Formats: sequence, structure tokens, C-alpha cells
Amino acid sequence: MASSATVGDLVSQPYKYGFVTDIETEKIAKGLSEDVVRLISAKKQEPAFLLDFRLRSYRQWLQMEEPDWASLGHPPIDYQEIIYYAAPKQQEKKASLDEVDPKLLETFEKLGIPLSEQKRLSNVAVDAVFDSVSIATTYREKLAEHGVIFCSISEAVKDHADLIEKYLGTVVPGNDNYFAALNSAVFSDGSFVFIPKGVECPMELSTYFRINSGDTGQFERTLIVAEEGASVSYLEGCTAPMFDTNQLHAAVVELVALDDASIKYSTVQNWYAGDENGKGGIYNFVTKRGQCRGDRSHISWTQVETGSAITWKYPSCVLQGADSVGEFYSVALTNNRQQADTGTKMIHVGPRTRSTIVSKGISAGHSSNSYRGLVQLGPKAVGARNYSQCDSMLIGDQAAANTYPYIRSQQPEARIEHEASTCRISADQLFYLQSRGIAFEEAVSMMVSGFCRDVFNQLPMEFAAEADKLLALKLEGSVG
Amino acid sequence: MIRPDAPVLLEIRDLTARVEDQPILKGVSLTIRAGEIHAVMGRNGSGKSTLSKVLAGHPAYTVTGGSVRYMGDDLLTLEPELRARAGLFLGFQYPVEIPGVSNLEFLRVATNARRAGKGEEELDTFAFEDLVRERLQVVQMDPAFLERSVNEGFSGGEKKRNEILQMALLEPLVAVLDETDSGLDIDALRIVAGGVNHLAGPDNATLLITHYQRLLDVITPDYVHVMAAGRILRTGGKELALELEERGYDWVDAELAALERTPAEVG
Amino acid sequence: MVAASLSTPTATAGTAPGSWVSALLADAAGGADARAAQALAQTPLPTRRDEAWRFTDLAPLTALKPTLLRPAPGTHPEPAAGSLRLTLDGHSDPLAGISLPAGLEPITGAGLGESLGQVLAATGSAELWPVLLNGATARNVLALRVRGTVATTLELVSDAGDGEGILPLRLLLVLEPDSSLEILQVHRSAGANLTSVVLEARLGEGAELRHGLLAPGAEAGCLLATVAVEQATGSRYSGVSAHGGWALGRLEPRLVQREGAAHSALKALQLADGRQISDTHSQMVFEGPDGRLEQLHKAVADGQGRSVFNGAVQVPRAAQRTDAAQLSRNLLLSDRARIDTKPELEIVADDVRCAHGATVSRLQQDELFYLQSRGIAADQAARLLLRGFCEEVLQELPAAASAWQPLASLLGEEGR
Repeated sequence: MASSATVGDLVSQPYKYGFVTDIETEKIAKGLSEDVVRLISAKKQEPAFLLDFRLRSYRQWLQMEEPDWASLGHPPIDYQEIIYYAAPKQQEKKASLDEVDPKLLETFEKLGIPLSEQKRLSNVAVDAVFDSVSIATTYREKLAEHGVIFCSISEAVKDHADLIEKYLGTVVPGNDNYFAALNSAVFSDGSFVFIPKGVECPMELSTYFRINSGDTGQFERTLIVAEEGASVSYLEGCTAPMFDTNQLHAAVVELVALDDASIKYSTVQNWYAGDENGKGGIYNFVTKRGQCRGDRSHISWTQVETGSAITWKYPSCVLQGADSVGEFYSVALTNNRQQADTGTKMIHVGPRTRSTIVSKGISAGHSSNSYRGLVQLGPKAVGARNYSQCDSMLIGDQAAANTYPYIRSQQPEARIEHEASTCRISADQLFYLQSRGIAFEEAVSMMVSGFCRDVFNQLPMEFAAEADKLLALKLEGSVG
Repeated sequence: MIRPDAPVLLEIRDLTARVEDQPILKGVSLTIRAGEIHAVMGRNGSGKSTLSKVLAGHPAYTVTGGSVRYMGDDLLTLEPELRARAGLFLGFQYPVEIPGVSNLEFLRVATNARRAGKGEEELDTFAFEDLVRERLQVVQMDPAFLERSVNEGFSGGEKKRNEILQMALLEPLVAVLDETDSGLDIDALRIVAGGVNHLAGPDNATLLITHYQRLLDVITPDYVHVMAAGRILRTGGKELALELEERGYDWVDAELAALERTPAEVG
Repeated sequence: MVAASLSTPTATAGTAPGSWVSALLADAAGGADARAAQALAQTPLPTRRDEAWRFTDLAPLTALKPTLLRPAPGTHPEPAAGSLRLTLDGHSDPLAGISLPAGLEPITGAGLGESLGQVLAATGSAELWPVLLNGATARNVLALRVRGTVATTLELVSDAGDGEGILPLRLLLVLEPDSSLEILQVHRSAGANLTSVVLEARLGEGAELRHGLLAPGAEAGCLLATVAVEQATGSRYSGVSAHGGWALGRLEPRLVQREGAAHSALKALQLADGRQISDTHSQMVFEGPDGRLEQLHKAVADGQGRSVFNGAVQVPRAAQRTDAAQLSRNLLLSDRARIDTKPELEIVADDVRCAHGATVSRLQQDELFYLQSRGIAADQAARLLLRGFCEEVLQELPAAASAWQPLASLLGEEGR
């Protein structure tokens, strides 16, 4: 046959968010020490309780060892070669968007996240984080009318210190794991969301993370609290420029849902993944955990993971409240030399708690894609139920798909079901679609989105189509 | 309908092709004009299915010689999807199942691709649904099949009806139907054949590839070609099919043996 | 006494793990494989920090007396018709006074040296701690070559009895191309002892091995059994195992299809009651295309019992068109029991079918209710359903197993 791109070619689409914004940045010196932790805290004018939290976490981090158990391989990270604080030079967070450096606004516009009044997305409030700081949050006033707080975590520390003190570190303790401890010591910025009792958040909330500096680590911290009967849907997006070196991204996300509250957290992760030889790209070592603290509370994680050189991420739910519900819907796509080890933990503590896991892994190129999950049912989780489904799609015969679903049960009055399957895109299926006039790329994309449909259906409408396109783009050139 | 002055749609000249290292087609020539219905008959392994795959551009088959002109242009350099957009349609002997991809969505994308090929406007979702519901009647198919994944869990007969539904939507100029009758009971055969007859007209052509006479009882061919060992051994009218039915394929072997003694006589 | 000096006894009083091994090696010295003894002395005892032992504590094992055991002959049911029983006590020659059926012959001398350890290496099992322990302590090997079809079922029986110590058993089967054999291993115990079994089986092209393993244990007894199987193309291996009742009972079937295109089936039942640990770590590696695996693993945990299953399946790039299905079904009958189950699929080939599933639940309420509504008492109904759950595996054991009353012996209900 004439040319026909292979699926291999299809996946090798250039990364289109790889540009660097030329902006004056304030950075502190490389390296990590107690002084650096104090300096970050001082720069942010933090109250004493927070500095304490940072220092305790830092000291515990010093005692911990970097985990090596995930099926990942990467050269050792030199934590003294990383810059722990970088911020675009503008004095204060501006009251009005008009005062924000136009270069920054332009950057986000290029990324498809217009922030200005005229262009911003309707019905989606956006917090834009550039390197270590939040530069703008849209629709704040409208949200405030409903009592909803949506701001950067630095502002929250100043304006809502009581809430931060009450909730920060209660879901992911400062010593939870190596990367969470590091984050707790040096976190720079991130988003804070508070939905008061009985309020249904009137619009989608969204934070957009952009790493710009080449030698900066990104350690953002997100905290979302939904009080009794409150509900919110939140979306996080991420990109980074292309650098030859690897950058570390070690975020912590904490969700707290009280009685009858509901939090839906969606991620479309498109950090720079490195080139086809595995040079450069983000190391994405993230701790995300939600606690269904209240009865009948509900936390749902949806993630579309397409970027990063290495991803190490297990958004989890601790189902404490009776009848609480945890969900995890994931699409993880790896290509070239990318490595992803991702999955979830569903910890059933309370009675009649329910969880659903739907994981779709797509491996192409020489990549490695692992699902690692834990479903744990404690002795009090009477009548708990879990259903898990992990499907893998392999594209080409050089990619690896691994599945490690741990199940631990101490609860006889519970039901756990797990299913998994492996499939591929076969040449015959592609030919069939092509012979009906459907172009090769579109045929691949139809099959991939068919495979991912159960997960895409969970994304907020505004983003489902985007996720679809993103996957198609990432896969361009790799089926054959 | 034979009209000597009708435009030539497909012209195959001395076509040779192999799959992996195995030569399958060893010099096939065939001319198809608008309005004609051709039938290619032959035993399993005679190369008739290969001919259909090569025409549609299946990547597993390599053309080693000869030419195929479609509407005057070189067909063989085109990607499969461009052949389809230009109006060449292959009805598969074994349509594949594509889990996760909705049949309706698939039909819509394919139809719009073909329309773009004809320079027509895309149909929006609503206009397409009207069209597909109308065309469903050609094959008497339950609209419920639109909601399922492409061919997934369809019975043999349902898959073949889905093929003819696609043909009805894509309105091809040349339809190549590979063993469309295989695996069909008599009612399904009648429905499928009815669909093919309904779609055949003075401006398009049909190439039926079949093993049995029974399809030709319901679709009357203008020409019958007998294929063996990668060549067309004989061409005649519909009576040739009847002759095959009566005498079986044994005489083909004799003729083939004769040919192989004098290869120079075959083009 | 070399072994003793190689190990580093820890400061703890009593039988610390390091000194447990050195005491055992001292007792086993002479007679056993010196290289294995050295390797064992140098290998630390597995701990819960090792992924392969994460849920399995070796404490019940190191509580045993570190000496070699020479069990007294036990009383056993009459062998079933059509089966030949060989009794293994770790010391005497099991073939003494036995005439082997047609198709079976002992492997001795150079042939044995060539074959022994080969399958362990091929399945990546040579360095496993239970295998090292066995190698360091086993004094003899029962090694048999199989040609053609052997009509007799071979029963390999050990009974550690109520003595204290370690009973190491080493077995080797070489199945020549197109040969066929059925064997049944039975391992019993009634006391504080360890039965350590290593079976190597090499299946030539087109060979077939039907393999049953029945191991009803004792409250203080331990079982560590490794079954290493290497399969050539066209061969069929069917392993059916049932173990339970041990303080620590661990079974490690490790299969490799060297060129793919073979058929492997694993069916297992394990039971854990009281404070018992029942563990299966299986590994299936496809090194060539067109291989098949059917695996069913069933587990029951009651009392404060603990059931562990880890099922690894590796499908490297060469293993196109592999078809592997694994199902783990678990019954959790008490709120103090625990089930840990983890499939491990590692797939690189793209044209494969690999499915796995796992369920953990208690007996189905609607099934119980149905039986109760027919006048059957609740506990009896539960018993019936439990039996049904177990029988699905037990009925696949070789016919010769029925003499051993598999279900009753596993549930501790037999009239001993």
C-alpha cells in the first residue's frame, strides 16, 4: 500500500505547549535546607502554624527514603539542584486583571485559557498558576455571592487562616510519603476551594498549572472542602515548556467532603513528556486523596493523563462516612519512553461504602503503563461494595501494560469484583474503517475514544471534547 | 444492463499480487462499465477474495504488477479511505467487530467522508438520522442496531445487512461484494439481494464475488467470470454460472492444467 | 560446620532466624547439596518487606525445631485401583521393592546431574528461599523419566506425622515428547514440622502431565511447595491443587512455556481457618507465541485465617496471540479473617487476550435463603454452599485422590 502512517507515527505529534514565556522571574537559590523552607514561608508572610507544619514535614522528609517500588526507572533526582521558589516579578496579586502583566495573560491565552473579561470561558471560573504563584482568578465576585471561596492557597492562608489551619494536612499528613512530605515543606501555591453548607457551586471551577522555568520544581497544594450538603466540580489542567532536563512536579491535593457533600475532581494532565528518546519531561509524583468524612458523601476522581516523562499518582478515597461513595475514572496514555504508574486506592472504612474504579490504559511506542490499585475493606465496612474494571490497549509490540490490582478484605459482609481485559487496535479494524472512507488518524481516534468512553463521559462537558482531541493528538503517528 | 457505450468505471489489467511471499493473483484483467453487474466465481483459494481486498487497498496484499484504473485514474496509489470516498465500496466477507465505536457514529462519519468525496455538504446529526432511518428500510434493519457498537455481537446475517446499509448510505459507483451470501439463511439472502438490486442502477456497477449459484438466482449478472489459480479462466453470460452449477468445478481444473502447459497463451 | 560460620546469628535469645538456618544447616550437613547450603546461609530470611512475602509471615516456620525429620510410617487408605503409590520419607529409597509400570524409569547418574535444577533455572525459581531451603536439606531425589503413555496414576505420598523438624522432598519428572502421565502428590502432617517440596517437571513436545496436589495440614505444621514446570510446544500441563489446615501453607507453581504454543491449566483451592495462613504465589511466563493459560484460584478464609494469592502472568513481546485467563474467587466467612489477592499482569505483546477477574464475598444470601426456604437449617445450608464452592476444584483432582477424601481432610472432618 502507498504510504499509510503507522500508528507509531501517529503518536509522535510534537508537543504544542512547549514554548517558554520570556518574563522576569524572581527565583531563590537552588537547593533545599531548613533556611529555604523558612524563606518560602517568609516570602508568603505565613502564620506560625504553617511554618511549623512546613518545618515538621521537612524534618520528617529528611528521615525518609525515596520510594523505588513502582515499576518506574529514572536517574536519581538531586534535590539540591532544584529551585524551590520561582515567581514572575509582579508586586502583589493584582486586584484587577487589567493590571496583570500582559505577557502572562498572553501565555494563558496561547494555552487556550483566556482570562480577560471579554474572552474568558463562560461558566468556568479559572485560577491560573504560573510557576510557583497564582496570577489570576476569574469570577471571584460572582462566586463570593454564593459564599464560595475560590482563590490561591497563598491568599487563603492570609484571608481564611482558620479554614487552612482546620483542614490543611488532615487528609494527607505532612509525613504521608516521601513526595508528600517534600511538598508539605516547600509548597508554593495552588488553589483553595471552600463550598459552605448547602451550597451547590454555581459554576465549574478550574485551576490551570503552568511550569515555565527550566530548573524549578513545582510543588502546588490544593485543598477543597465541601461542607454539609455542598457540591462542586473542579478541573485541573497542566502544561510545561520543553526542556532537555527533567523537572519535578510533586503536588498534593486534599479533598474533604462532609455529610451529603459531593466533590468531583477532574484532571487533564498534559505536562511535557520528553522527546521520543526520553530526554526531558516532567517527573510527576503526586499525592491526591479525598476523604469522605461525612455520611453519604461522594468523591469522584476523573483523570486523563497524557503527559509527563514519569507519572506516579494514585488519587484515592478514604470512605469514612457511612454510605459514602468513591469513584475513580482514569485514562492514562503513554507513548515513546513515557512511564506511568497510576491507579487508585479505595479505603473502605465505614459501613455500606461503595466504590467504582474504571481504568483505561493505552500504551504505545516503547512506553510502560501500569495500573496499580488497592481496594481495602476494613472490619467495619459492613455491606461495602467495590467494582473495578481495568482495561489496557496496546499499540505496537514494544509497549508494556501492567496490571497490579491489590485487593485486601477483612469484611465478609462486602462484595468486591474486579475485571480486566487487554485489547489492541488491529490492522483489520483499521482497514475496515478506512474502507468506509474514514481517514487513518480518524479511525484510530474513533477506536481510542470508544475505548475511553466510560471515562470521558465523566468529564465536565466543556472538557470531554478537549480530552478526546488531546488523545488523538498524542496518538498521531503510532498505530500500524 | 450491458451498454457498450457506457463509461468504463473500473479497468483491471494484468493484475498480479501477493500476500507475504505467496503470489495469489497471477494476471487478472477485467473491464467494468456503468450499469453492469459482474459475478466472479471460483473455488476457495482461487484468488477471488484477494482481488476484492487488492481493489480496496488492504495493507496485507502487495501489488506486484499490472494496473487498475478507476474512473480513468490510477486506483492503486490511493489510500483505502480515498478509494472509498471516490465511490469504491467493498462489502466484507467477514466484517470486523469494533467494540466501543458506535455504529451510528461510524455510519455518519463514513457517509460524510463519502459526501465530501463527491463535493457534497456534510450532513448534520439530524439530517443524517433522517437519512439513515430511510436507508434502514432497504435492508429491513431494526434501528436498535444503530445504538450498538460496530458489528459487535451482530449475527452473521445482521453483519451482512449492516454492510448493505453502509452501501446504501455511501452510494458507491463500484460495489465489490465479497461472498455477501455466505452464512445467510434464505430470508436474509433475499433481503440482502433485494438491497443490492435496489441500489443497482445505470450509473453504477456491481462486482459480486461468490462461490455459489444461489446468489445469482436473485441477482442476475450481466457477466460471469470463472477464476482459478489467480486468473480469470473464462468469461460468459449468466448461463456460465448455471453451467458451473451443473458441471461443478472439475472442468475448470482440466482447463487450468491445459493452460499451465501453455503459459504463453495467457496474457 | 562451614554453614554455621557463614551465617550471622542475631543477638536475640532463642531461635533467631539467622541461627535457625544455621542450626538446620548444621543438622543437614553432609548428604545434601553443599552449594545450596552455602546459598541458603548467605540469603537472608524473607521478611514482610519483600513484595513476595508481604502478606506471609515466616514466624510459624522459624518456630519449628531446626532439625531434619525422619517420619515414622503413617497409616493411609488403600491406593485406588490403577494407581501406584510411592512413599516419600526423605531418607529411604521410594523405589525400593517397587516395579515401575511401563513407560517409567528412574533417572540416575549423569542423566540426573544434567537434568536436575534445569527447570528451576528456566522458571527463575532457583534462588527462591523455599527452593534454597529444600536444596540445602534434601538428601535424595526421586527422578523419573516418562516415555509413551503411562496408564498408571503415580501417587507420591508423604506424611510428616507428629514428629518435629523438616521433611525435605525433591522430585524430578522428565516427560519425553508425546508422553503422558498422571500424578497425585499427597502431603500430610499431624505435628509441628515443615514439609518442603520441590517438584521439577520438564514436558517435551506434545507431552501431557496431569498433576494433582492434595495437602491437608496440621495446626502447627508448615508446607512450602514449589512446582516448577517447563513446557515445550504442544505440551499440556494441568495442575490441580488443594491445600489448607497448615499454620503456614504456601504453594508456588511456576510455569514457563519456552516456545509458547502450549496449554497450561492451574486450578487451586486453598483454605485458612483458625490462625492459619494459606498462600499461593503462581507465575506463568510465555516465552513464545500462541500459548494458553486457564487459571482458577479459589480461596476460603474463616476464623482468623489469612488467605493470600498472587498470580503473575508475563506476556513478553515474543508471546503474540497468547490467550490467558485468570480468575480469583474468594470466600470470606468470618469478620476476623483476611483475604489478600493480587493478579499481576505484565504484557508487552499487542495481539493477546488476557483477562483476569477477582471477587471477594461471603456466601450468597439469596442462595442461602433458597436452601433455607426448602427446610435446610442455616448452618447446614452454609456448609452445602461451601462444599459446592470447593468441589469445583476438588473434582478436577486425579481420580486416585478420592481415597484420601479431599474435602473432609481439608476441612478437618475425616475420622482420624
